[in-house]
Amino acid sequence: MADFDLELDARGLNCPLPILRAKKSIQTLSTGQVLRIVATDPGSVKDFEAFCKQTGNALLASAQQGGEYHFHIRKA
Amino acid sequence: MVGKRLKASERRATILAVAKVLFSDKGYHGVSVDEIAGRLGVSPAILYRHFASKEALYEEVLNEIACKRESYVEVVVNSAGGFGDVLRGITHIYVASVSKDPDYLRMELQSALEGSDATRQFFENRWRPFTDLIEYSLKELAGQNRIGPVNGAVAALLFQGMIREALYAKCIYRSPRYHDMDLGALVDHLIGLFFRAVGYVESLDPGTLPG
Repeated sequence: MADFDLELDARGLNCPLPILRAKKSIQTLSTGQVLRIVATDPGSVKDFEAFCKQTGNALLASAQQGGEYHFHIRKA
Repeated sequence: MVGKRLKASERRATILAVAKVLFSDKGYHGVSVDEIAGRLGVSPAILYRHFASKEALYEEVLNEIACKRESYVEVVVNSAGGFGDVLRGITHIYVASVSKDPDYLRMELQSALEGSDATRQFFENRWRPFTDLIEYSLKELAGQNRIGPVNGAVAALLFQGMIREALYAKCIYRSPRYHDMDLGALVDHLIGLFFRAVGYVESLDPGTLPG
């Protein structure tokens, strides 16, 4: 069973697009549900930390795998 | 001048600051290590203690710029999320940031003249947030019949050209033609013209950017 409710493929996109798409994706979730994001922009690490800090959503995990960055965000 | 009592970190920062000014005035190829050392009042050997080569020094100047990358997160979080909203917001952040650093703008110009692949890529990446946002959004908006068909790559070029030229006119050439016009207002006006050119109507896009 997947540990997320929705996945967003933001590979190949540069800020602000991954953040923008994440914002829209989170709007479709209910409180407590988890969005998984896969990105390739190295700047996305800082960007998603800032995004969660500013929106109050919880950054459950942030990991790098190969040239990809994976984030799990739980909707507040 | 770099005095003997400077700490290593201070000396390094001074070298980078002086090198940045020289690179922005003369480009990478127009500056020698001897000249940078001469401007600092130290021997080239001191410079080589901190940077292995002129190339390494130039790379570090670019790295410092990259580390100051503008954050566009706040714009996205606080905007309704429409294409116009976000493009306007991030453009103002970028313009406010680089207009304080004319040396950076000169380095960008020098890089265009020199045609080096590495620096071209660096400066292209700085514009990627804009070119990607424009290309992606216009494609989606056209797919939803909310604007007519537009070549996103060409539109991104149009946008980049306008904003670059406004920055150069105001911050480098200091053109009397735009003397009475505030940079922010000039940029805002140009963004409005860009939207008209691509057939985008801001008032009809209240935060429904394609996701």
